[in-house]
Amino acid sequence: MTSRDAILGRIRTALAADPRRPELPPVAQVWPHTGCGVDQMAQRFLAEIGEIFGEAYRVPSMGDARRKLAEIMGQEGCSRLGVMDRPLCRELTAAVAPAAIAWPQPDWTAAEMAELPAAVIEADCLLADTGSAMIACYTPQDRLLCYLPPTCVAIATADRLAEHLPAAWPAIAQRAAAPELRGEFVFVTGPSRTADIEKVLILGVHGPKRLVVLVVG
Amino acid sequence: MPTHDLNLEGAAFLKDLNAGLYEPAATRSLGESAERSSKHTRSITDAIPYWQQWREAANGIKSYAIAHLDKLLTQFESGITARGAEVLYAENAAEANQLVLDIARKHQVKTVVKSKSMVSEEMELNHKLAAIGVRPVETDLGEYIVQLAEQRPVHIVTPAMHMSAADVGHLFQQKLGEPFSAEHQNLTRIARKHLREDFVRAEMGISGVNFGIADTGSLVIVENEGNAGLSTSAPEVHVALMGIEKVIPRIADLPLFLNLLARSGTGQKLTTYTHLIHGATPGRKLYVIILDNGRSNVLKDPAARMALFCIRCGACLNACPVYRRTGGWAYGWVYPGPIGSILTPHLIGLEQAAALPFASSLCGACGEVCPVKIDIPHQLVHLRSRAVSEPSPMNKPLERLTWRLWAFAMGGPWRYRLTMWGVRLGVRLVPWIAWHPGKLGAWTRGRELPEVPRTSFRRWWRNHRDHLQPKLPAPEQPAERASP
Repeated sequence: MTSRDAILGRIRTALAADPRRPELPPVAQVWPHTGCGVDQMAQRFLAEIGEIFGEAYRVPSMGDARRKLAEIMGQEGCSRLGVMDRPLCRELTAAVAPAAIAWPQPDWTAAEMAELPAAVIEADCLLADTGSAMIACYTPQDRLLCYLPPTCVAIATADRLAEHLPAAWPAIAQRAAAPELRGEFVFVTGPSRTADIEKVLILGVHGPKRLVVLVVG
Repeated sequence: MPTHDLNLEGAAFLKDLNAGLYEPAATRSLGESAERSSKHTRSITDAIPYWQQWREAANGIKSYAIAHLDKLLTQFESGITARGAEVLYAENAAEANQLVLDIARKHQVKTVVKSKSMVSEEMELNHKLAAIGVRPVETDLGEYIVQLAEQRPVHIVTPAMHMSAADVGHLFQQKLGEPFSAEHQNLTRIARKHLREDFVRAEMGISGVNFGIADTGSLVIVENEGNAGLSTSAPEVHVALMGIEKVIPRIADLPLFLNLLARSGTGQKLTTYTHLIHGATPGRKLYVIILDNGRSNVLKDPAARMALFCIRCGACLNACPVYRRTGGWAYGWVYPGPIGSILTPHLIGLEQAAALPFASSLCGACGEVCPVKIDIPHQLVHLRSRAVSEPSPMNKPLERLTWRLWAFAMGGPWRYRLTMWGVRLGVRLVPWIAWHPGKLGAWTRGRELPEVPRTSFRRWWRNHRDHLQPKLPAPEQPAERASP
């Protein structure tokens, strides 16, 4: 008998002793849907991400987003950018010198990626009430771009804003259920942090110290 | 009962000398930190009008999950296997360790980066890896600190809560050769620098699992530092360790649990990183080890199943007045606090941990804060009942005889009077006895008995009652009764 069979057998025997089997409850609503507009959600997103020491800027056009990216690169002294290969990332970095852009390659190692001073990633969804950005990563290199560079710039269009996690969830859950899906959906809510020493909050313990979200439109 | 390779050195509650009479020596900072966290969390949850509805809903989902555990586990297994993961089952810690060691050998692993995993603490995995020449590195800052200090975590969420910044500074100076600093930013920078080297070098990453989602075959890991993200993506091999009870039925239930866990654990709206891992990414290998290690024993006792609902938020620890005074080591094993007092006896057996359910004042604070509404106080009482009726150190012939004698002595007025006379005499003799046997000795070494009155209350009342008649005011004239 395998360990799998032994464990499942023990579970079945134990459960058989009590014939009561509760029904699956309906999915909880969690937060009510208020149907607020994009402007309200953007305002809330900017306020919430500020509360958790992240940064967010709402810019009217991609041109403005490019200027903002250049400003951030200047502030951080970035000569190279690791850029996720996604449509919005390509648009955002269109004005950056090609030599300064590193597109993730399947043979990239973590050691090589740790040298990148900044990353540009694309958020598929923004949650207004928590200031979170949902990043879909399909390769190990996509995942590492979220965690290794000390500065991380995420870009999304304003139509990707959702009121809160439950409002965004049906679409996310549908994507997650696709059997062919591999990789990770990560919800990033502010820069990396710890309070493990005397409960004092410190940013940038392992992941990015600076997280900037650019909301276009 | 599985065989456990236990190290109960820290188990002050379980030591014979102080069994039941442990006097804590926890640092004041631990108690203050726990109290501060508890108040912060409470203020956040009190402000949410739906909080009690969320708890109720989560309790209902967990009830369903545990009652259909076999079905959900096989559904989860099938889903994540289809996404390229390899699922392995382990009946106990020894088997789980063997599986991890086999994987490490197969992939020629020299360094392992670990994010927080309570299951790996149950397995004592770090010692096993080190024994075959693999270097395990804890990467959560608190876990890293306690690993360097060669200690056990004192808290589920904040493992190094008992150490000051100066303690950490001295530790880094001694173990890492860094200049002393007691500045938090600097200490964190030092840890980041050293751990970065390990992240990029490690061949294998090990993580725990917060939730296994049955209907999609996804793993959910929540964290704040980014170390779980790095541990599961930088090395070529990811081993996820999951207790059988971590499975939930639907991905649709996840927003509820994420809202509850973040607020109860750290007082955040959402943790900094919430990872939904859908199988192995190209070029990477994912193993999921599903561990029983005594959990299926809990299922045998329907009244105890609620103990398996725990989502490891740590809220009950912070709320517990006993934990605040004793710290985590006093509980002797991996899970401290009220949840430890109900989980540990199930997982390692009443024979070894029967004292834990008695380490509670039953104030009920733990039950009130539990985000999945585990009725911890009643679970403690249930385990106390089992501890004194099943084979355990708390079920002793002498103790049973003592309580039978007590019941007899209290069973009639003359028996009661005779007993009280004997007690008065005995208490007067206590100071004259230099040595007291067993537990009485442990008690009298640290405490002074109150002075015994020269006469009993009953005798005093007989002598004084005639002089102490209450002087009642003269009755007032009754008011004229109103007509109905």
